[in-house]
Amino acid sequence: MKDGSKGGFTRRDLVRGSLVGAVGAAVGVKAPEAGPSRIGPGPAPLELTVNGAVHRLSVEPRVTLADALRETIGLTGTKVVCGRGACGACTVLLDGETVCSCLLLAHEAAGRPITTIEGLAAGGRLTPLQEAFIAADALQCGFCTSGMVLSCQRLLARNPKPTRGEIREAVSGNLCRCGTYNHVFEAVERAAGMKKADAGTPADLFASRFPAPDSRLTDDPRVAMATREAMDAEEV
Amino acid sequence: MRPFALVHARTLEEAARESARPDAALKAGGVDLLDRMKEGLDSPKTVVSIAGIAGHDRIETGPPGRIGALATLAKIAEHPGLRKIYPALAQAAAGAATPQIRNMATLGGNLAQRPRCWYYRLEEFDCRKKGGQDCFALEGENRFHAIFDTDLLCCSVHPSATGTALLAYGAQLETVSPKGKRRLPIEDFFYRPTDDATRENILAGGEIIASVTLPVPAAGARSVYRKLKEKESFDWPIVETCVTLTLSGGVIGNPRVVLGSVAPTPHRCVEAEKVLAGARPSEELVRRAAEAAVQGAKPLGQNAFKVRLARVELERALREAFA
Amino acid sequence: MADKLRLGFNGKYQVKDVAIALGDPAPWDPSTKFSVVGSRVPRLDGPAKTTGAARYAIDVRLPGLLYGRILRSPLAAATVKSIDLSAAKALPGVRAALALAEPGEKIRFAGQEVAAVAADTPERAEDALAAIRVAYDPLPFVVTIEDAGRPGAPLVFEGQATTRSSAGDMPSGRKALPREGNVLGPRLTSKGNVGEGFRKADAVVEGTYVTQVQTHNALETHGLVARFDGDELTVWASTQGIFSVRDELAEAMKIPASKVKVITEYMGGGFGAKFGARIEGVTAARLAREAGAPVKLFLDRKEEQLAAGNRPSSVQWIKAGATKDGKLTALHLIVRGTGGTNGGTGTSGPIKNIYACDNLQVEEFDVFTNAGPSAAMRAPGHPQGSFALEATLDELARELGMDPLELRMKNDPSEVRREEFRIGAEKIGWQTRDSRRATKDPAVRRGVGVGAAVWYNTGDTGPRATVTIHRDGSAGVEHGLQDLGTGSRTMVAIVAAEELGLPLEKVSVHIGDTRMPFGPASGGSTTTPSSAPTIRRAAWQAKRKLAEAVARQWKVPAESVVIAGGTVSAPGDPARKVSWPEACRLLPDEGVAATADRAENHEDAWKRFTGGAQFAQVEVDTETGKVRVERVVAVHDCGIVLNALATESQIQGGVIQGLSYALFENRILDRQTGRMVNPNTEQYKMAGSLDVPEIEVILVPVWDGVNNTHSVGIGEPAVVPTAAAIANAVSHAVGARIRQLPITPEVVLAAVDEARAKGGRT
Repeated sequence: MKDGSKGGFTRRDLVRGSLVGAVGAAVGVKAPEAGPSRIGPGPAPLELTVNGAVHRLSVEPRVTLADALRETIGLTGTKVVCGRGACGACTVLLDGETVCSCLLLAHEAAGRPITTIEGLAAGGRLTPLQEAFIAADALQCGFCTSGMVLSCQRLLARNPKPTRGEIREAVSGNLCRCGTYNHVFEAVERAAGMKKADAGTPADLFASRFPAPDSRLTDDPRVAMATREAMDAEEV
Repeated sequence: MRPFALVHARTLEEAARESARPDAALKAGGVDLLDRMKEGLDSPKTVVSIAGIAGHDRIETGPPGRIGALATLAKIAEHPGLRKIYPALAQAAAGAATPQIRNMATLGGNLAQRPRCWYYRLEEFDCRKKGGQDCFALEGENRFHAIFDTDLLCCSVHPSATGTALLAYGAQLETVSPKGKRRLPIEDFFYRPTDDATRENILAGGEIIASVTLPVPAAGARSVYRKLKEKESFDWPIVETCVTLTLSGGVIGNPRVVLGSVAPTPHRCVEAEKVLAGARPSEELVRRAAEAAVQGAKPLGQNAFKVRLARVELERALREAFA
Repeated sequence: MADKLRLGFNGKYQVKDVAIALGDPAPWDPSTKFSVVGSRVPRLDGPAKTTGAARYAIDVRLPGLLYGRILRSPLAAATVKSIDLSAAKALPGVRAALALAEPGEKIRFAGQEVAAVAADTPERAEDALAAIRVAYDPLPFVVTIEDAGRPGAPLVFEGQATTRSSAGDMPSGRKALPREGNVLGPRLTSKGNVGEGFRKADAVVEGTYVTQVQTHNALETHGLVARFDGDELTVWASTQGIFSVRDELAEAMKIPASKVKVITEYMGGGFGAKFGARIEGVTAARLAREAGAPVKLFLDRKEEQLAAGNRPSSVQWIKAGATKDGKLTALHLIVRGTGGTNGGTGTSGPIKNIYACDNLQVEEFDVFTNAGPSAAMRAPGHPQGSFALEATLDELARELGMDPLELRMKNDPSEVRREEFRIGAEKIGWQTRDSRRATKDPAVRRGVGVGAAVWYNTGDTGPRATVTIHRDGSAGVEHGLQDLGTGSRTMVAIVAAEELGLPLEKVSVHIGDTRMPFGPASGGSTTTPSSAPTIRRAAWQAKRKLAEAVARQWKVPAESVVIAGGTVSAPGDPARKVSWPEACRLLPDEGVAATADRAENHEDAWKRFTGGAQFAQVEVDTETGKVRVERVVAVHDCGIVLNALATESQIQGGVIQGLSYALFENRILDRQTGRMVNPNTEQYKMAGSLDVPEIEVILVPVWDGVNNTHSVGIGEPAVVPTAAAIANAVSHAVGARIRQLPITPEVVLAAVDEARAKGGRT
């Protein structure tokens, strides 16, 4: 099957590295054929079992699982940020373990159960962890969120009552640039039932409980003069 | 990545034959290989995957311990038996990279990975490790480079955390190649740049690490692994230390002291071992041994601080071992 | 008309006459009982972002989509001799190829764009890049400030400095400045007479402070998807300014702006470097036109590190003097910084605008180097300037034998910030900081440090929004704003819901599309103060239209109809009272809608700067030089907080970025080749989950009346003082001054040695 030209795949599909089909539920892994199997370098067919659905596609061996998920299947919840395993944005669950899909070949994931972020909220119902992420505002731009959620999901599956230290460790391979980490820790603790969701008490955040200073409001004389100047200087 | 054919080997022997061919690369977890291929450092025509071969990821605690080369760092880090009997190895595995990478990376791959020297890791630099004429780090940006063996043409540091620990344990490697199987002490596995600057180890011609065997710990055996990083989340070490020894009747026996991330190979500190052997633990001994360990250091322009940190970290490791 | 407004903070208000524009509601009174504003509102896009459903520009897939890639120079300086695209064009699947440099053109940094391709798979685009042949004549280059300033140094620009000009880039000021070789400047600021000021001083300190180049590293890289339908261009962009992208593309592609549509549904962070279409955006559009097919072109991480902007470095010499009683008498700053082939390296924001001093002199020089161009980055110049200024104040306090916080309080003219200092000091335990220096481990010392923020609570006219009230009682807002992850989308809903008296779920928000009414670019902490007043004004006007419609039905004067608390009534007439939904059912099919422009800022209100004070507590291992930040207390003001949850998040994010800058981040250029050696997220080190401290965020609400919502942005102030506070905490711990960022083990150990050498307390 050097060219991977199996029945059901058109020439164009093979060239384009396209999605061939997505049908039904997961099926078992095929038995290995005789002799070392050799595929490529051109597109070759494979089946990826993603979130319980089998996707038949045809891609070159060099296509990573991340690219197959995003560009071929269209599951774009998986993000690619560094492309080198150093940020965790592309995290998916493979055989139930977190892995970097940017450093896995799609063909090597064939037949193994893959869970992406799209696979968590079954039937459109958010998981408690996803709800906790939202409640704790454990996301800002959201680009690290898919990977963060999956790392935390994996943690809770093994360790339903993690310590703060264990949570920190579990997401230590997930880079966030907006700085959501502390809220991620809170989200996991909420989802684990270790921290009660507070009913939105803005007063907690405000300084009003502090004694008022012994001072009166005065106009800051420097302000009007300096505003324009400052804006000029900053060139924002 | 440039185009390649993918071969799924069914046995290590088959993988050895396939990967012995020209322009073939062996792939286990693939973390390092794909990183290099994406940067354009390696462009094999054939990638031989051994990831799907069953049975080579077994961990036998023993003792002697025996770990299949396809065992992931995560499995090693979490293995209760290893954590008890060979704790320094489990700690080395646990401290490597990130949770995701530990789930993918294998012991064999960790030992055989290429250095993280940033000049080597960028396709724009034709450095000695790639067969070029220069080591850019010698006169360049070398904060994280070697402090020992810096006169050996290439001053990258060996990146393998498990290599540091396994050298301290005095492990043996079993390999498979088209010529057959062999067993060698881990000391003989690592190559120095003067042996061949383009390689870090003995593996060639389709030779594959099959498993690693750890010796039976002697009575009173202790082992300590430490890693100092700038950043706690995913960072490569500034210096690693691993110490194994026995403490019996208050006397130190069979000390093995290894520093990692300080030389092109995991660096055995024989002078420190001499200081420790047969001595009784004391703060003064700790200082003397650590001093002896860094005696031969020849830091580069930007990394004298690593010598100081190696000494501090080794002192701490020894105190832990004696505690 | 002028309204009497109560303005102030913390229960202390003064009444001011403030002129309110026609058709604009007056700013809220401090007694207002808000229904939504100020509470902790989970962001509206939380479900989309936690399920992977949120579609970012980089996620867009279109029929026939091609993948674009850019080839970049491996040399820091060179002349392009030739670019041969023929082999690339001949490869299967390659649909377009462009030269981005002309023969004879000069390359000024390693990573500069040279050529581009588009192919039908990402892999084939990569193959095509490898097939492009470029010949260069290498030229000498400079990558350090020191080398660039030497006589006879290779010139980055021989003639006019042609710095880049995409929105948000960092030009070297608008005024013509003297230039000598690679050094441009000084930009001068002068007030009083510093010579005289220093003569009056009882204590004078000076020092040189060095900061590194930081790269933005938004997780979604720069890029866009471009599709031509005839001569109309549709673009899905990862941008902080959909309208600035539209205008740049229209100009570059020579088509009317009205034929360019830019969409940003979600975007993966910007931090200042994503305002314009930039070279990669224009290239994508050019490839799409040439190929006759849509093109997706996003940078990879390496390209992002090399060419997508950075916070410039700085070498700041600073001198300060004060009298015995702690009054500043003179401040003098001379700064050289490099933003590579761009400028904008000044750091004087803090020194000019935080502490009061009659005698001030600032001289700022941009030094051009053969390195990737700078771009605006979260509070441009401020974290650098704050680091040097706050360290200097600590030095001065030591010289005076005065508590460093007391010195600050004596010179800080901002009442709000003085209150923030007080709150933070109590929270961090400032009074006991000396006694807490020792820890159980003799090698580990604890330290506490402080830094102050300043920013400018502006926001401007220009934004426009439409609010529609539908017959079913729901409402919609259309506003061409993009949400970078700050929570802008949710902010829009909060303001509309508050004004209309509706629950949040009855308000739908439509943003991120240039077909909508103009929204502001998101930068400089101006988004909220620009948009929120616009939304409130439009909602207020829509509400008046509802009142008019009801009044017509009731045959009463419109001004007698009151909408409040979910009911519509004509007070005094018990029969004329209906619920909001009932009132809306009286509307015609199209409902009522109002489109409003943002009103001018109230110049007669309490115009002031935004403050902020941060305190850091660190543990320093004096043997390894390792710093662990244990805790940060961040006390900030941003007017009236619209969403307490998102504000807290954004401040935490500022602190974490500031910590990452203080301890880890550093773009490292190889001096032998001019190339960046750490263009990744592995060796370019950013703080991760194990590196972040406990962060306590405290907000001081300020009713400033500058706009109808008292809203002020928080993005920049949150990042300004963190590095300064951490550096001062490390200095406190080890007993010697930290004068360099990032605070690596070497830097700490050098300080430890310095403290030992002078017999200081370590």
